[in-house]
Amino acid sequence: MALSATPDRVLADLGATFRPQRQWVEGRGIWLIVGHFLSGVGAGTWLFALWLDWRPGLVLAIAAVALSGLAHLRFLGRGARFWKMYRARTSWIARGFVGMSIFLPAAVLALLVPPGALSGALVVLATVGAAILIVYKGNVYAASRGVPFWNSPVLPILYATYAIRGGLALLLVTLPLGGRGIDAHGVGLIELWVAVSAAVMLGFYLGVMRSTNLAARRSVAELVRGRAAPAFYLGTVAVGLLVPILIGVLGFAGPLSHAVLAVVGATSLVGDFFAKYAIAKAGIYVPLMPAGREPVAPAA
Amino acid sequence: MRYGMAIDLKRCVGCYGCQLSCKAEHGTPPGVLFARVLKREFGTFPNTQLVYLPTLCFHCTSAPCVDVCPTGASHYREGGVVDVTTDDCVGCRACMQACPYGARFFNETQTGYFPGQGLTPYEERRYSKENVGVVMKCNFCIDRVKAGLEPACVANCAARARTFGDLDDPQSEVAQLVRLRGGEQLQPELGTHPNVYYLPPA
Repeated sequence: MALSATPDRVLADLGATFRPQRQWVEGRGIWLIVGHFLSGVGAGTWLFALWLDWRPGLVLAIAAVALSGLAHLRFLGRGARFWKMYRARTSWIARGFVGMSIFLPAAVLALLVPPGALSGALVVLATVGAAILIVYKGNVYAASRGVPFWNSPVLPILYATYAIRGGLALLLVTLPLGGRGIDAHGVGLIELWVAVSAAVMLGFYLGVMRSTNLAARRSVAELVRGRAAPAFYLGTVAVGLLVPILIGVLGFAGPLSHAVLAVVGATSLVGDFFAKYAIAKAGIYVPLMPAGREPVAPAA
Repeated sequence: MRYGMAIDLKRCVGCYGCQLSCKAEHGTPPGVLFARVLKREFGTFPNTQLVYLPTLCFHCTSAPCVDVCPTGASHYREGGVVDVTTDDCVGCRACMQACPYGARFFNETQTGYFPGQGLTPYEERRYSKENVGVVMKCNFCIDRVKAGLEPACVANCAARARTFGDLDDPQSEVAQLVRLRGGEQLQPELGTHPNVYYLPPA
């Protein structure tokens, strides 16, 4: 696996006015994006599978969150020390770890024990864990004061929207495969609503960031015409938003088949992943020195 | 007791002495620079100016890197020094994203200065495997300070641009310099309350 940043690249970045963040997206950093994506999708899937009372969906949610845990371990420089991440008083990463630690055992036990009071309590506990998993990711980024593009209260809302949407999307892909009959029109409408919400949130977020400080504006520029632009336009906007919204709108003309809904789910998942990837990739640190200034008069 | 530093931009000549002495003191691997000198050219010929900005960890009183650390590896030490307990660091790099001053470095692999040739005897002696996969940062050379010495970057500054001491002691040289010369913090609007002050060149 390539390094997140080679020594030469670190030196080159240090000399640049706008220093790009690489640690959370390049090299092993890609596993963090995968981990965040899977934990959001898994937690969202848990909520919708509970709502639909679909047991395979609950298993799928557990699998997604467990894989997310493995991806996080792959990302960490010292994964064997993961158990030390319990300082949840101030750290959102620790809160996410606590959420995962609550969710996984509670969800597994909830499926294993016979239906009853204990099972109900475990489901509630697992749902609390899932809620923490939905909330924590955006806050991890928002707590990064070195990267003004992320340091916004809008980002946690955007990431929570994407997590809920991811859960619904995974169910859209897997429900027909599981032979489960669904109200295609109803689910299609929910998906359309969530996709439009995500698009509005994304637009609002970028609009806010464009009018904040220099580094955040530069990050928006990286997103719309810089190094994150291909992932943003192709993955986040085209595949992740336009396709699901267009298909969702077509759903008003007539009922959508399960296969089409599965396509909507798959494209939404791709969009979810690339939204996280592009936002991470566009991160720029606070500049330490100005880019330039007026020429000074020569010494006498 | 609040350790701090004043860096006189009028005196700094951009010689990289602080950067090199820091690397020698801490034996840091390639790509890890606790102290570094940023240079930037301004203007167009013949009206040009070369500006130096020596930086290091600012040991902020409200350090965002400490708040985001999930294990408590990043912590405040005596005198407000911000340090990392290597044994507790999981290498999540949240502190690097939280630090607005780029003062933290992730040591991803054990590499030397001569790729493909292995480590030199010096590197084998100085680089610790414990520092691989964790975040490294300046600790104001706290071991030197406890032994009554100045931090390496201060002791080796040829232009005597750096002054180290107790900012809480109004009689200390560093506190007086900050007060009399109008010491400025970098990006004070971020609310981190850095304990490194820059003395303006004019």
